[in-house]
Amino acid sequence: MSTNSESFLTKYIFSTDHKVIGKQFIWLGIFFLFFGGYLSLLMRWQLAYPEQAVPWWLSWGIFFKDAGGIIDPDTYNQLFTMHGTIMIFWAVTPILIGGFGNYVIPLQIGAPDMAFPRLNMISFWTWILSSVVLLASYLLPQGPAAGGWTSYPPLSSPMGGIPGEGQTLWTLALVLMGTGSIMGAINYIITVVRMRAPGMTYFRMPLTVWGLWLTSIMNAVFVPVIAAGLILLLLDRVLGTEFFVAGGLASGPGGDPLLYQHVFWIFGHPEVYILILPVWGIVSDLLAVFSRKPAFGYKVTAICMSTICVLSSIVWGHHMYTTGMSPLLGKAFMFLTLLISIPSSIFFLNWLATLWKGNLHFEPPMIYTMGVVWVFAIGGLTGLYNATVTSDIYLHDTMFVVGHFHFTLAATLVLGLFAAIHYWFPKMFGREINRTMANIHFWVTFVSMNFVFFNMMVLGYAGHHRRLYNPMEFDFLKPLLGLNEWITWFAIINGVIQLLFIFNFVWSMFKGKVAERNPWGASTLEWTLDAPLPHGNFAQTPTVYSRPHEYSHPSLTDTDWVPQSEPIPGTA
Amino acid sequence: MKQYFSKINQVITKAVWGIWFLDPPKDVSLDGYRIDNTIQYTDTVITFYFSVVVLALVYFVFKYRSRPGHNAQYDRGDSKKNLIATVAMGLLVFFSIDVVIEAMSFKDLKEAFWKFPKGSDVVRIEVMPQQYAWNVRYPGPDGEFATEDDIVPPLNLMHIPVNKPVVIQIAPWDVIHSFYLPNFRVKVDATPGMINAMWFQATETGEFEIACAELCGNSHYRMKGYLTVESESDYNAWLTSLADEDDEWDEWDEWDEDPLEEVTIPEDWGWPWKEIR
Repeated sequence: MSTNSESFLTKYIFSTDHKVIGKQFIWLGIFFLFFGGYLSLLMRWQLAYPEQAVPWWLSWGIFFKDAGGIIDPDTYNQLFTMHGTIMIFWAVTPILIGGFGNYVIPLQIGAPDMAFPRLNMISFWTWILSSVVLLASYLLPQGPAAGGWTSYPPLSSPMGGIPGEGQTLWTLALVLMGTGSIMGAINYIITVVRMRAPGMTYFRMPLTVWGLWLTSIMNAVFVPVIAAGLILLLLDRVLGTEFFVAGGLASGPGGDPLLYQHVFWIFGHPEVYILILPVWGIVSDLLAVFSRKPAFGYKVTAICMSTICVLSSIVWGHHMYTTGMSPLLGKAFMFLTLLISIPSSIFFLNWLATLWKGNLHFEPPMIYTMGVVWVFAIGGLTGLYNATVTSDIYLHDTMFVVGHFHFTLAATLVLGLFAAIHYWFPKMFGREINRTMANIHFWVTFVSMNFVFFNMMVLGYAGHHRRLYNPMEFDFLKPLLGLNEWITWFAIINGVIQLLFIFNFVWSMFKGKVAERNPWGASTLEWTLDAPLPHGNFAQTPTVYSRPHEYSHPSLTDTDWVPQSEPIPGTA
Repeated sequence: MKQYFSKINQVITKAVWGIWFLDPPKDVSLDGYRIDNTIQYTDTVITFYFSVVVLALVYFVFKYRSRPGHNAQYDRGDSKKNLIATVAMGLLVFFSIDVVIEAMSFKDLKEAFWKFPKGSDVVRIEVMPQQYAWNVRYPGPDGEFATEDDIVPPLNLMHIPVNKPVVIQIAPWDVIHSFYLPNFRVKVDATPGMINAMWFQATETGEFEIACAELCGNSHYRMKGYLTVESESDYNAWLTSLADEDDEWDEWDEWDEDPLEEVTIPEDWGWPWKEIR
């Protein structure tokens, strides 16, 4: 792996270096994070000021010109469909799994690169292709998909009433994205299994690697399930089959729309954990680093995360309590879902216990991590309403569900990925990210995000159902307009402050203070390397002697840490 | 004692949700209180556990913040004692929240939501949602559906008598819809190719809204029906007046047709009542 013969093209564009690919994924994700976020603000505008023209500073004077600046119902449906799809599959997945999975896994396990560097590159470029297909749907005269991120057929089938071919491109883009996802997943799994440095046993891997590894296993198992469903949907759309069409729209006896929902959620529920496992891992590690203590109950946390993976694959029915499911199944799914709260509370408790008697340093990554602890507590606890069949009968398909999953998916994941970006920034770019800007960004984001998502749950409790272009059509929703306005303004504040983040990111990349090799005093292997990291990482394969977070070990005297690649004095 | 506890639950629910002076739509159903109770119990316990988390975080932030002379205490937390403590806490959470709401939910399902009423005073209605309206069907004098004398009111109108159990069977014409009655705390999906059922009972008269809770296309937001709960005599009079109008029905059908809608719903869309075991 020589570094000399690389041209610009092979070094920065078609690179096989996991670190470059990781950064490429992060840039891709950040682009879509802003894109998806912008869509949500347009959506919020319509909810707060129904059928009023979008102001110039939000429409940039170019969108919705035809309708006098007013968002029409078809556009509104496209907004929430693309917001959900983009945020999940093109923003958070690339950053957390593609980006940090790539960047961190080989460095933390002491490997020179991914097991299959070229496959890694192909995975990224498949993702780019899928992004192009997805964005191309905006060029269609009738716009992109509008069936919701779940795109339940028959609505998403050609007879379902959504105009144009956006839905076809959406399906195709997701299949491509899934293909890239599977390539990445295989790569990460094999890398972790085969390429750990000597001494790096499974129970010496940082919990970040645990999280990413479990995520990859889940990806490899469950993405093919949704791919199968989507390919059938694609056949319905393109070749006129009727796998998921029934009733009045079917030409014959028809297929089964409910089958799609099962297939979707067999993937869809694990997907929630696919997304959140890397964050759980990152949070577990970062809490230890900034508490200067070992992660409390390290092994138990890893086992709990694995248990949740297994449980998460048999609970998908809780998304379908109102579909007329058999009572026996409903009870079984409810019981299994509630079981997840045991391992979840155990590792959550381990997080709190890691802080206990620690020496807490409130560096930017730490405050984002503490933010995750807060929002994940809310997100996790409010899941109980949806897991319970009876309360879900009322709350299903309301804004309550929207608020709940934004606490777990949006708030937890976004704060988690900010924590990760601020934590590994010095290693990635050799410079420190500006702390003042990071602190301001955190507090504004945190407060506005909590306000927005909590009040979405309040709306849902007041009966506000989902995906409504204009809630004012219903008398029982009229009193909620004021709250909708408040939420919108807080969402706008949240959106604006992200500009500070991107400014800080780019500014610090070029103008930030040059970082030390190990600014956080972390003991995992990536911090033993000097920036810029060469292609091939370690000059000499490290040998690992200890667990990833042996901070403040009693036999340490000068510092409170040693890298994993050095034995703790007096214990060898 | 039990009453006292339920009062506390209500106060906490008010405190958690009611800071914005919002209440769920007025419950006018026989069993809606069950769902409200489960929600209120969940509010109480999760407020308690979340407060514990917040207090712990605040305490740790002040007590263990980094400062000169303060060091972390090395503890891997993997002794047997630690394991037992965390697992015990996990189980405590499980038994105090999950098991209780599960028991409440199972009880409510068994006693109410999944216990379909039987007998001659049950009002049976067939509903067929389409993009973007509710078709409603009553069995007519012969008590059978999908027969000549079925009573089909104008689109989006449903009347039921107060204090009588109402069973609804629902199957859509085109895409998935969801029959949602906020004031009764119930909803059920309508999926093409299958007939779903649900029941409820009104305790007050009045007019309430029927909403579609599942995205069904661009006019999903105005797919709305009106449920009128009235006294039994008013209800019977309404049915009779509709039966008399029946001869004029065909014109009604033409008149209500959306000119943009290509699909014509056949007038005899009903199905023979599916007996629930």
